[in-house]
Amino acid sequence: MNASDITYGQLAAAYTLLLFPLAVFLWYRVALIGETFLSVLRMTAQLLFVGFYLQVVFSWNNPWINFLWIAVMVLVADASIIRGCGLRPRHFALPLAAALLLGILTPLLLFLFVIIRPEPLLDARYVIPIAGMILGNCLRADIVGIRAFYEAIHKREKVYLNALAAGAQLHEAILPFLREALEAALRPTLATMATIGVVSLPGMMTGVILGGSNPMTAIKYQIAIMLAIFSGTAITVMFAIYLTLGNSFTEYGILKKDLFLSKKK
Amino acid sequence: MEDAIHIKDLTLQFADVPLFERLTFSVADTEKLTLIGPSGSGKSTLLRCIMGFVSAAAGAIYIQNEKLTARSVWHLRGKMAYVAQEPELGDGFVRDTLLRPFSYHNNRLLSYDETEALQLFDIFRLPRTLMKDEVTTLSGGEKQRIALVTALLLQRPILLLDEGASALDKATKRAVRDYLDARTDLTILSVSHDTHNFSFTGPVVDVTGVSREAAS
Repeated sequence: MNASDITYGQLAAAYTLLLFPLAVFLWYRVALIGETFLSVLRMTAQLLFVGFYLQVVFSWNNPWINFLWIAVMVLVADASIIRGCGLRPRHFALPLAAALLLGILTPLLLFLFVIIRPEPLLDARYVIPIAGMILGNCLRADIVGIRAFYEAIHKREKVYLNALAAGAQLHEAILPFLREALEAALRPTLATMATIGVVSLPGMMTGVILGGSNPMTAIKYQIAIMLAIFSGTAITVMFAIYLTLGNSFTEYGILKKDLFLSKKK
Repeated sequence: MEDAIHIKDLTLQFADVPLFERLTFSVADTEKLTLIGPSGSGKSTLLRCIMGFVSAAAGAIYIQNEKLTARSVWHLRGKMAYVAQEPELGDGFVRDTLLRPFSYHNNRLLSYDETEALQLFDIFRLPRTLMKDEVTTLSGGEKQRIALVTALLLQRPILLLDEGASALDKATKRAVRDYLDARTDLTILSVSHDTHNFSFTGPVVDVTGVSREAAS
């Protein structure tokens, strides 16, 4: 994995690329300059931190530390989904964390134990990046799926109540809404799969190729990763909805009114 | 005679505004009772409460002598059919809408009868070709009648109508009223603000009187 390393001087030079968007913002008076600096600063700090941290984690290579790292990532993702959806943490934090863990661990363990079988099985070099890739996609899918699901029932409550009135149990009445939410959450991943390689070279592949691996190896990994991501997102969205049902509906099967923090703009 | 619906000391509020206080009344089995009162008097909320869609502040509801609770509501809804004021039936074709409830576990002993559905279409003055139309393209009055057909196909003994004929023209209103009135097997609780052309031969109760009386 020894491609030509970037020196810190070269990295600093890369920041000159910011001049172009900043010039555009200045010229057209787009109010994004402050935000740009903040975002670039955050990206730099977070990635440098993760870089140092991963060096340590890779050298320890302890399965428990790896799992702890995954747990931390899940908690951060959990909080960010709840914020992204404007939901009440009280109802959602625990079930969502469980849904994320299931969404990551199922494809990750299959990937490691059955498909790749690295030596050692829980090698940090495999566990952390693959878990991160799956998690990133689970996060996006959960935000879309949960929002789509609860907003649809909220907006079309009459249709939902109509099903209850016709004798539906909770799981029967939510079915059309669940179907819609799964579609909304999984369609972007499908679209990515359908255009991958032609429209974009995904980040992971770029990294592997620049890192000195054979492009064919990178591509084989990429295919396996995309499949793991797709399966992970499907699992997490389904569980995210099913596990939050209990806290979101009254015993009479009516959607609670206080799920969202405030009325959406 | 057994009571199909018994409301006991029911107190209903909507966003802290009291609608009814200690409301008590019964609908006897196969009776057809019409509640009247101006809009906003809480008639619709009362029906929604009987369906378990909103909860009461106090009091109890009994359906065929069984108390409505979080546990019993799931099978008690199976004894009632509810036609909302402006029903929203989802999407898909009309036939899909009529078929959907038959896939529910609660309705597993029933089966969809297209001939019966079409007969009801004729009685309610709906064109038979409507079966193949998209639900979203229907008018308010057509949706009301499709909701009514669904309710009747599900063979519920108790029918709750919320302004069940508000969007219908006079002749159709009469056709619906005459058909339902003649169904001696059905218990009907209908709420309406106009009694002139949509009330049944059963008793008529003015709920404005009831709630005002209770409040004073």
